[in-house]
Amino acid sequence: MSETIHFEEEEFTTQFNGRTLIRILAQAKPHWKLTAVFLITIALVSALDSYFTFLSKRMIDEGIVPRNGERLLNIAVQYGGLIILQALLVFGFIYAAGILGERVQYDLRKKQFNHLQTLSFSYYDRTPVGWIMSRLTSDVERMGWLVSWGVLDVIWALANILTALYFMAIINWRLMLIVLVAIPVLVVVAAQFKKHILVEFRLVRKLNSRITGAFNENITGVRVVKALGREQANLAEFEELSEDRYAAGYRAAWLSALFLPAVQIISALAVGAVVVVGGVEAEYGAMTIGGIQAFISYITFMMWPIQDLARVYAETQHAIASAERVFSLIDAVPEIQDRSDAVDPGSLRGDIEFIDVDFYYEEDKPVLQDFNLVVREGETIALVGPTGGGKSTIVNLLCRFYEPRKGMIRIGGRDYRELSLHSIHSRLGIVLQTPHLFSGTIRENIRYGRLDASDEEVEEAAKLAGAHEFITALEKGYDEEVGEGGVMLSVGQKQLVSLARAVLADPDIFIMDEATSSVDTLTEALIQRGMERMLSGRTSFVIAHRLSTIKRADRIVVIQDGRIEEMGTHAELIRKRGHYYRLYSRQFREERARQYDLLGLEPAAT
Amino acid sequence: MTISNAPAQFSPKQAVSSNRLLGLWRLMRGFRLIYVGAVLSLGIAALAKTATYLLLRYFVDDVLGRGFGVPFLLLVALGFVGLALGEGLFSFLSGRWAARTAEGTALRLRNYLFDHIQRLSFAYHDQTRTGELLQRSTSDVEAVRRFYADQAIGLGRIIILFAVNFVAIWNLNRNLAILSVIVVPVLVVVSYFFFGRVSRRYEEYQEQDARVSTRLQENLTGVRVVKAFARQAYEIDKFEKENWDKFQKGRRLILMHSLYWPSSDILAGLQMLAGFVIGGIMAINGTITAGTYLAYAGMVIWIIWPMRNLGRIIVQMSTGLVSYDRVMAIVREEEEPLSEGSYRPRGNVRGEIVFNDVGFSYGEGEQVLKHISFRVEPGQSVALLGSTGSGKTSLVNLLPRFYEYDSGSITLDGVELKEYPRDYLRSQIGIVEQEPFLFSRTIRENISYGVDREVSDEEIYAAARAAAIHEVIMSFPEGYDTLVGERGVTLSGGQKQRVAIARTLLRNPRILILDDATSSVDTETEGLIRRALQRLMEGRTTFVIAHRIQSVMNADLILVLDKGEIVQMGRHEDLMAQEGIYRDIYHLQARIEDELQQELEATVTV
Repeated sequence: MSETIHFEEEEFTTQFNGRTLIRILAQAKPHWKLTAVFLITIALVSALDSYFTFLSKRMIDEGIVPRNGERLLNIAVQYGGLIILQALLVFGFIYAAGILGERVQYDLRKKQFNHLQTLSFSYYDRTPVGWIMSRLTSDVERMGWLVSWGVLDVIWALANILTALYFMAIINWRLMLIVLVAIPVLVVVAAQFKKHILVEFRLVRKLNSRITGAFNENITGVRVVKALGREQANLAEFEELSEDRYAAGYRAAWLSALFLPAVQIISALAVGAVVVVGGVEAEYGAMTIGGIQAFISYITFMMWPIQDLARVYAETQHAIASAERVFSLIDAVPEIQDRSDAVDPGSLRGDIEFIDVDFYYEEDKPVLQDFNLVVREGETIALVGPTGGGKSTIVNLLCRFYEPRKGMIRIGGRDYRELSLHSIHSRLGIVLQTPHLFSGTIRENIRYGRLDASDEEVEEAAKLAGAHEFITALEKGYDEEVGEGGVMLSVGQKQLVSLARAVLADPDIFIMDEATSSVDTLTEALIQRGMERMLSGRTSFVIAHRLSTIKRADRIVVIQDGRIEEMGTHAELIRKRGHYYRLYSRQFREERARQYDLLGLEPAAT
Repeated sequence: MTISNAPAQFSPKQAVSSNRLLGLWRLMRGFRLIYVGAVLSLGIAALAKTATYLLLRYFVDDVLGRGFGVPFLLLVALGFVGLALGEGLFSFLSGRWAARTAEGTALRLRNYLFDHIQRLSFAYHDQTRTGELLQRSTSDVEAVRRFYADQAIGLGRIIILFAVNFVAIWNLNRNLAILSVIVVPVLVVVSYFFFGRVSRRYEEYQEQDARVSTRLQENLTGVRVVKAFARQAYEIDKFEKENWDKFQKGRRLILMHSLYWPSSDILAGLQMLAGFVIGGIMAINGTITAGTYLAYAGMVIWIIWPMRNLGRIIVQMSTGLVSYDRVMAIVREEEEPLSEGSYRPRGNVRGEIVFNDVGFSYGEGEQVLKHISFRVEPGQSVALLGSTGSGKTSLVNLLPRFYEYDSGSITLDGVELKEYPRDYLRSQIGIVEQEPFLFSRTIRENISYGVDREVSDEEIYAAARAAAIHEVIMSFPEGYDTLVGERGVTLSGGQKQRVAIARTLLRNPRILILDDATSSVDTETEGLIRRALQRLMEGRTTFVIAHRIQSVMNADLILVLDKGEIVQMGRHEDLMAQEGIYRDIYHLQARIEDELQQELEATVTV
């Protein structure tokens, strides 16, 4: 389970995966009415296109050549009526296919998003956010295109070629056979061309993103570049990349420029054949002027359906690769799921026991081994120790973001795997070290803790958390927008808001990961006070960095290398003169130095 | 592939113009000839196409049914193939030359911008956002490229096709020519307004797309909060709203298209049909021949249908012009002259630095440095002490001439700093920042980055050992070839700093600027870093932005800065002997130790 998903965007299966293709097309099934409308209208439009050429032929042969003005006008009226009918049909297919494409994209985004909400942390650990984003954006777009415009192009092209052949057969079937020979040649040539062109364009895209990367790095690192005098060398490197991009772009462009002429010349050979054979047959009246005109038109415009077919063929492979990635997301099975007999215990009160818990994120890299800890209801536990020692893992396991690989965790005497995930999560209150806020107002962010809370309750929670003052000092108060990810607020303010959010949730278990980054003294004091209120009377776990928090805990657990190194009250541990003693001394010096504002000086390490 | 036919001395600076079309024309320097060639080729291709219809006219009027044998028919057929070859060849040439111009101009612009940006001053970079620069150097350059490759040439194509065929029809029959283009102005106006509106709707659609992505990203990055509060249903609702909105916006866009295309179909179709009827009646009346009618029927297509796309091209061109402005805004900025300076010594500097009454401010802002005077002998170390904003960083930034001081003088080895070329100065100065910027390259490349000579592996290893980072590097599976950053390993702050120390050791500068902060580094690494730094400082004039009492105590000169002024100066012993901030700080350190002891004792005796 631990392997990471590879996310080379260009990777793609060369074989045509029929099953995936069918599954893509099946996305249109719920919208079969739209599908039917666009399939029928496009087929009719396509047939009319061929018929128009036939009508032109009749105008010549039945009207102009025999000098029959009445007949000419009759056919023209028919022609005009059909132009208007075709326009209506065009409206139908653009509308139906367009909406279908958008709708399928909407469906796929929704399906994936909803499924993402059920996936476990382990999935997020090995899947970069960027990878998931591409699945819901560019991949979905390609699939939507295939289901609508891709299918449409194929139907249009096939109908166009078939009806054209039909009318050609009516005019002169021997000549039609000549054209019939040319079609496969055209298709093969066109498909080969499109394949190569697509490869070049993909290379261009890849190089473009590398160029963007190069610019990005040089701009963000411009100070280092200047300091090291690296301008010349950087330019030389960039020029290489840039010339690769030039070469690929140039090749892609002239290959594209060659495509139409190549197809046209093959068509011209067919026209030549028509001229010779038609010319001979015209001698004994087997071929009319209009007939020759019609054949030339059919052949000349044959290149459009062929070009469409070639394009769809090339793009379909791309869409299938996209679909395989999208389906892999939709088909991913959440690692942590409710058991079929999961229950909601009504509360998460009671003791919490970690019993012989083993845990690792990656096999053969154990994080916790034989971990045992019993926490009494209402106790406040301070978790301290070096980074990477396992503090966060303990919290993650407690929240059931992950489950123990071995052993069990019991809440209120019950293995927590017997409980429903929702029953656990809805009774937790968590404040993260770097609090995550959602774009929207402060009020909305606090209300995230309890969605049906009234405005008064939101403000009450903010007051309890110590956030009320700073919020009311803002121009729009509770209705101030926090910006994407809360960028408009300082880290300390974000912590206060997320504390208020937790207060509002009124959880049975409270978990806090204190910020290490410096927060101004006033805000820090506010956070402290808010925290104390949260801690009293409920089982709490604090990954603690502040001495005052640590000292106030009922029990301090020093975690190092996945084990409990020391455990006890502040006084007990100080007396031991072990890890905690050293940790505390160091922290004490740093904190005081900060309080005294020693001109940025850190204390001497001893 | 060489692109050398562009004059080497050309700089996009010469293409700065308030007339954007003129500017774009100047930007093409070196490619203008082939670009004009591309347009001429378009004309020749259009002539060949029109000639095909005239050949058809000859074939119908003078060959068909007149007893010519197969050999002559073959000759006519050859004529058709020949004209197709001609048309194909010239449209290919046109595409190829346009591509060469577009890609070549874009390449030159991209390379110029890359180099230009890294030569713009610190002051410029301070006030310009990375994203903005990035977008202008990538997507806006791309838009300029498309202007040449697709839009200008596409506009040319439509106009040339119209002109050639219109003139040809005019020569066949003037009345026919005039009657065939009645609807063309209407078509152009309608298409212009349509595409103007569509592009606005498309922007709305894209904006909504961005909102969908933002929602998604927030959900993914905030997955802990979502799960911790069990807010999946709420998140699904929020996403649903944006997703549905995107579907609705897409629908509106589709609706516009589904209205425009059929209406323009009717306009163009009926105009063409009217032409057929009028031409047909003329043919019946004997005003024109049947062959002329056929030629006309073929040519009239090319003066009507392409007009439907004219609006699109015009609208797109206007975005290309905007992009030109955005790119030129960067080009217009003045570069920092790197090699300008009257005094460039052959060898290295000694490192004697004298500040005499130096004053400095960023732009028009208030003075950040005032009356700074002090003297450093070669090899000595200077410690800068002061709170955030006191001017420490601004002071050291003057040395490599990242910024220019406003008043007073700074001399290096007795020569005014402004006499030295910047690139020389920077080659003599090494900077180790608190958390250095590393490039996403291998560790080996990062260590040898900015060293102006071939560096052997042994030298790199030796530098890494001296910087106490060799062991860490060897612990990675790919050793020195490990990539740094997103696609490789993430180094901790301390590890990055040691890579930067190794880099600086290799460069072996005479003057050193150090930021010796070690916050969030554990005790063991702190010792390693300190020893590495000491090794680095040996024999070099060093400026230390001090965060630690040790680096201050051992310094040859301590500068205590407050609000941009030196408030105290001297050695540790001197400063301890006088009253002032320094002694206060020092005593505070001692006081903290006392407090700690008291506190610990109090805890133990409770």
